[in-house]
Amino acid sequence: MVGIKDYESLYKNQWCPGCGNFGILEAMKDALVSLEILPEKLLIVSGIGQAAKTPHFLKCNMFHALHGRALPLATGAKLANHDLKILVNSGDGDCYGEGGNHFMHAIRRNVDLTLLVHNNKTYGLTKGQASPTSDFGMVTPMQPRGVISEPFNGLAVALALGAGFVARGFSGNREHLSRLIREGMQFKGFSLIDIMQPCVSFNRINTYNWYKKRAYDLFEEDYMPDDLENAMKLARQWGDRIPIGVLYRKEKQNFAKHIDVLNKGPLISQQYDPARLQAVLDA
Amino acid sequence: MSIDITVKIGGEAGQGIQTMGHMLALVCREAGLYLMAINDFESRIRGGHSFFQIRICDKPVQAPHHKVHLLVALNRETYDLHKGQLASGGRVIMDEIDGSGEGDLIALPFSELAKKAGGMIFANTVAAGACLALLGTPFELFKKVLSKQFGKKGADVLEKNYYAAELGYQVVKEVAFKWSFEWRADKPKGALMDGSKAIALGALAGDCRLAAFYPMSPATGIMTHLSLLSDRFPLIVEQVEDEIAAVNAIIGASFAGTRAMTSTSGGGFCLMTEGLGLAGITETPIVIVNAQRPGPATGLPTRTAQGDLHFVIRASQDEFPRFVFAPGMPDEAYEITSRAFHLSEKYQVPAIILIDQYLADSMYIAQKPYVAPERIERFIAQDDDMENPQQYKRFAVTSTGVSPRALPCAGKALVVISSDEHREDGHISEAIPDRIAMVDKRNAKVPFMIKEMNPPKEYYGESGTLLVGWGSTEGAVKEAVDRLRDEGSDIGCLNFVDLWPFPADAAVDALKKTKQFLMVEQNSTAQLGQLLREQTGFVHSGAILKYDGRPFYPNEIVDGVKKYVR
Repeated sequence: MVGIKDYESLYKNQWCPGCGNFGILEAMKDALVSLEILPEKLLIVSGIGQAAKTPHFLKCNMFHALHGRALPLATGAKLANHDLKILVNSGDGDCYGEGGNHFMHAIRRNVDLTLLVHNNKTYGLTKGQASPTSDFGMVTPMQPRGVISEPFNGLAVALALGAGFVARGFSGNREHLSRLIREGMQFKGFSLIDIMQPCVSFNRINTYNWYKKRAYDLFEEDYMPDDLENAMKLARQWGDRIPIGVLYRKEKQNFAKHIDVLNKGPLISQQYDPARLQAVLDA
Repeated sequence: MSIDITVKIGGEAGQGIQTMGHMLALVCREAGLYLMAINDFESRIRGGHSFFQIRICDKPVQAPHHKVHLLVALNRETYDLHKGQLASGGRVIMDEIDGSGEGDLIALPFSELAKKAGGMIFANTVAAGACLALLGTPFELFKKVLSKQFGKKGADVLEKNYYAAELGYQVVKEVAFKWSFEWRADKPKGALMDGSKAIALGALAGDCRLAAFYPMSPATGIMTHLSLLSDRFPLIVEQVEDEIAAVNAIIGASFAGTRAMTSTSGGGFCLMTEGLGLAGITETPIVIVNAQRPGPATGLPTRTAQGDLHFVIRASQDEFPRFVFAPGMPDEAYEITSRAFHLSEKYQVPAIILIDQYLADSMYIAQKPYVAPERIERFIAQDDDMENPQQYKRFAVTSTGVSPRALPCAGKALVVISSDEHREDGHISEAIPDRIAMVDKRNAKVPFMIKEMNPPKEYYGESGTLLVGWGSTEGAVKEAVDRLRDEGSDIGCLNFVDLWPFPADAAVDALKKTKQFLMVEQNSTAQLGQLLREQTGFVHSGAILKYDGRPFYPNEIVDGVKKYVR
């Protein structure tokens, strides 16, 4: 049996009091416990940013990598050992800005891992600049006349690229979010969960209450996430009502299944065979 | 040398120059001859001017020759561009539709004969037939090679090629060629090998299991070779979205437990430098091949250079240990690549292999059999190796700087890694003692790494003058030394293969024996010369530098030396 305590990290937390990341961390623990994944059987890969520090505050295997580069690193790890259970923690700047190209291509590859984008619509760690998801017109110390670009819609992009599991969560709804993470991890293929998350230090617009008033639960609406057009409409719904839940789910052959050599087991477990190499060298 | 003939085949990209050149190389190999062939082409798919230049010898040969004995001009431009390189008595064969009349030119009806054989697609076989006939090659030998090349394509294709070859042979029956020689039936001396293939094979001998890359000349050939072999080994070759993804993917794979590599050229290496630093601070073994081409930026995409030495030994911000090797020949490239995987894993540092377009794309006869290692020594810690796996610290400070390396999800030991500066347990730390301990720990590996470095290779190392180079110029430099010694010069050479961490003591030992030394490098500032001065205090008295994107010919080095040594 796995309990919450198994995931308690002795490493001191560094987030601001009241940070939206706490809700995500707790929801992750709930999901991991309910899936009965032992800490030593979990790998978390993350980029750089406040979100990417998440694995330090859990007990697990982790690679806290470069800004924007978590997905290619996780892809490499998964190719080396496709039995690994991999969660990726990233932020809106990390994933959609610095790592935008990797984000698109990870979706194309459909590697079996779960990506959590902690989307607080601001750069927290560098103190409050606009992020790729900041709303048009948002004023920051760095954009004093307001943001003049349209926000990046990660969910719509993911749907357009054929992602098989596309969901939106809210850090203020732990139970709902842990269900999304559980379902994302059970999904065989690339799963994206974009998580609305307040930044108590730098985003005075998209606060807990702002989200709470707007979020409505697709699970409660008996929404069937099997239609791409409907999912696209929901991905673009923003303003007075914002849907949270699984927008789209459709399993297809994941990346590792396309690679014949992996039928013999994970790459790390296969044997080196000098005779086989010598035959090629002598050819 | 009794046989030393250079054949140059030139024309437009898309005319099948390389196919024809490869045919000649296979015939020579089959007859037990040695050869060395260079590929010269522009960065385009069709048109322009390309050539394949093959030097055929009865002794091992490791450099191209500047004089051409037989020029196969597949268009008029080739004749005009290269006729100046003809040796006295050299001949040119060219399609009669491209011109005729000049003294050294043999105009032949290639197109007409090709059509007779079945279409223009056979023009190369006709030309190859004419070329081999002039060299005195027995027809049966050419047939044997054709059957190996085209046998799989069906009897009809093969018969037409035989016929095309025969037409080529007949058309030059009456033509005399000064360097026609008697071909003895001998066994092949070794495999036909280019630098790219040797590195691909070396990667397999290093038990590489993930090769991630983004296509870039002249490094793509390595991945093409690996990809063709990937279904026979526990190996995945994955073309990713960019070089940044490539380097991060191999770091991920290595972290998870398989050996991994990427290959690129200078521009791609620029994009990888952040990842190189990640491998540095997280002490993750990776192998990166940088096949150099002239730069900066796009530079000359299909040309050769040695301009990245300073760049790769210092690439990335701040300081961390790494290995850098520059093999001189394919045989050495095979061994260096396999060794790079071993050393990278042993010391948990990135290893960089510096080659160049010249080595990547040139063909040689391998001079020794390539041997697969009996076993692969791994440097992985398991739970059983630990007193208490639950207390495992990925970056534990040790006297050698190397910490026991466990793999994620392989046992009870948790592997915690951060690109931030960290504590021994891998978690982020900004504490002063942790920072100092980690920098010192990483640097502690260097003295042990230096012990692994081989000294520069000496050739007449006791001479009054030494030519000093690194990597792929070895063959041309050695031949220049031979020629200068034949003329009575007291000269030898040093070739550096193991470049970083710099084997300074070994370099001092080699340099202190000589009165003066001259650098021979394919860059404009003598980068190794600067490094020698920095690391040993010895200063070169001159430099023969070539940075036009083309490889060194031995005669250029001979001429260069004569400016300094009388």
